[in-house]
Amino acid sequence: MKQLVRIFGIVVVAALLMMGLTYSLNKSEGYSGGNTLTIYNWGDYVDPDLLKKFEKESGIKVIYQTFDSNEAMMTKIEQGGTTFDIAVPSDYAISKMREENLLIPLDKSKLPNMKYLNPRFMDLSFDEGNKYSMPYFWGTLGIIYNKKMIHDIPFTTWNDLWRPELKNQIMLIDGAREVMGLGLNSLGYSLNSTNEAELQEALMKIKEMTPNVKAIVGDEIKVLMAGDEAGVAVTFSGEASEMLSQNKDLEYVIPKDGSNLWFDNMVIPKTAKNVDGAHEFINFMLKPENAAINAEYVGYATPNEAAVKLLPKEISSDRRFYPEPDQLENLEVYDNLGKKMLAHYNELFLEFKMYRK
Amino acid sequence: MKKNKWGKIYLAVVFFVLYAPIFYLMFYSFNEAGNMSHFSGFTLDYYKEVFQDTRLLIIVLNTFVIALLSSVVATIFGVLGALAIRYMPRPFTKNSLLSLNNVLIVSPDVVIGASFLIFFTILGVKLGFISVLVSHIAFSIPIVVLMVLPKLQEMSPTLIDAARDLGASQWDVLSKVILPYIAPGVFAGFFMALTYSLDDFAVTFFVTGNGFTTLSVEIYSRARQGISLSINALSTLLFLFTIILVIGYYFINQRNAKTAQALEVPKK
Repeated sequence: MKQLVRIFGIVVVAALLMMGLTYSLNKSEGYSGGNTLTIYNWGDYVDPDLLKKFEKESGIKVIYQTFDSNEAMMTKIEQGGTTFDIAVPSDYAISKMREENLLIPLDKSKLPNMKYLNPRFMDLSFDEGNKYSMPYFWGTLGIIYNKKMIHDIPFTTWNDLWRPELKNQIMLIDGAREVMGLGLNSLGYSLNSTNEAELQEALMKIKEMTPNVKAIVGDEIKVLMAGDEAGVAVTFSGEASEMLSQNKDLEYVIPKDGSNLWFDNMVIPKTAKNVDGAHEFINFMLKPENAAINAEYVGYATPNEAAVKLLPKEISSDRRFYPEPDQLENLEVYDNLGKKMLAHYNELFLEFKMYRK
Repeated sequence: MKKNKWGKIYLAVVFFVLYAPIFYLMFYSFNEAGNMSHFSGFTLDYYKEVFQDTRLLIIVLNTFVIALLSSVVATIFGVLGALAIRYMPRPFTKNSLLSLNNVLIVSPDVVIGASFLIFFTILGVKLGFISVLVSHIAFSIPIVVLMVLPKLQEMSPTLIDAARDLGASQWDVLSKVILPYIAPGVFAGFFMALTYSLDDFAVTFFVTGNGFTTLSVEIYSRARQGISLSINALSTLLFLFTIILVIGYYFINQRNAKTAQALEVPKK
């Protein structure tokens, strides 16, 4: 009994000591105190120095928390119990959150820096008039391939994926909209198509690709491509830029016949406690020099026109991640197709996944 | 003899499979190249990075505070629960309580996590330290109960009768007879609870909030960008720390065994 009490006593004291240490660390970071701003963002999706800079400039303490999927983030916000002042959902998640009244409209008078944003990335279907959201990063869906392993295919269009010499070499990202979308695009249809005939045709077409498909995966693409273990993959530009920095033999292309344009945008959730601080933060992030610092750190493309000019030439002139305006013409944002249509997409994608040749 | 050899080989293979990924990860934490695909040179940069990342350190400390506190509290509740189940006079209630305890162990973490989230938000509890602590205590209790019960069951009731005959009060029986006897089970329960709490992701994910988070949740959300080698470095440190804990546990056990032996000597 004595021994038990002693040991558990030691454990509790150790825990309390650690709590004290946490508290003092927090204090030295300046996390405690009344005026705080809680940011809910993707893991490692902001330059930590920028947060420090913001704290210094505004006197607001930043609490930074991370999530790993739009769905997870939405669940947390929907349930309440948290006080997130800023969240950074992707395009389709924004239209969903808007529908479910999870967002607070933005007060544009507090966001003078929005004038620096590229108009091409404003007023899109998921948030018309940018009532609730400001773009944070953007990118495309494209093909990444290993020049060492595949020599004579330029991958200018999606149709190159159907070439017989790619047998069992392609990795596809595990997403219904993405894979159905590339099928639709390769046929010249919109990737937001709701036309049953077009969808069936796209399904037939992607089914023909199955001999070439090595795997339908998620995050593993990054490791496999960087490690020279697969030749071709269909993935997002943000992921691609990271793989490119790890493996010099890789190349990323946006197919000419159209592709997806995606966005991660800053919003203020209904749960926000510090709405003024949230506006101040959004405006801070829209400031060209800050947006440029962030884009350099994270490696995704910034929608901030003035910030692009501040970026080092080798980043901003990289057509793979900052495509020319005419290349952007063909790109489409995912529309919110509604629950029923989305389920249909998922069903068709599932049929494709189960199809084996 | 021959059989023995095959057994050893089998064991070696099993341990290799279990430990190889961990050593692989530890090895690359010293990699200068910054990725896990090829090793270019030795560096301690990632360890430096870990100690400079105050946010990460706070998260590590949070994780340990939660693990230690929740497992201590869970051990206390668990032991009391096990006692109650063991000495429950009616077999029906006893079995029902035991089944309820087991249901909690087998039910998926995601379900438990989601129900905690709903529970806390209905009560209006702000998510953060308290919510994480409470849920960790809650999912650890059934484990402690399960570790303590066998010890209680293997204890002969005559011991208690003897103590009573010698004039021991209820409290004496508990503190001088039962608790010392079941101590190994209590420690086992404590350490199980500790490891459960340290690596739990599914439940914790739902109940973290307002700036409070634990390591498993943080690493998971960082994984989207590819795990930086500083996470490898941190994992290496944690692994070493766990080894120290296990060694400590071993010595406590050794000492217990010795005292037990010492007590048995006069009986001879």
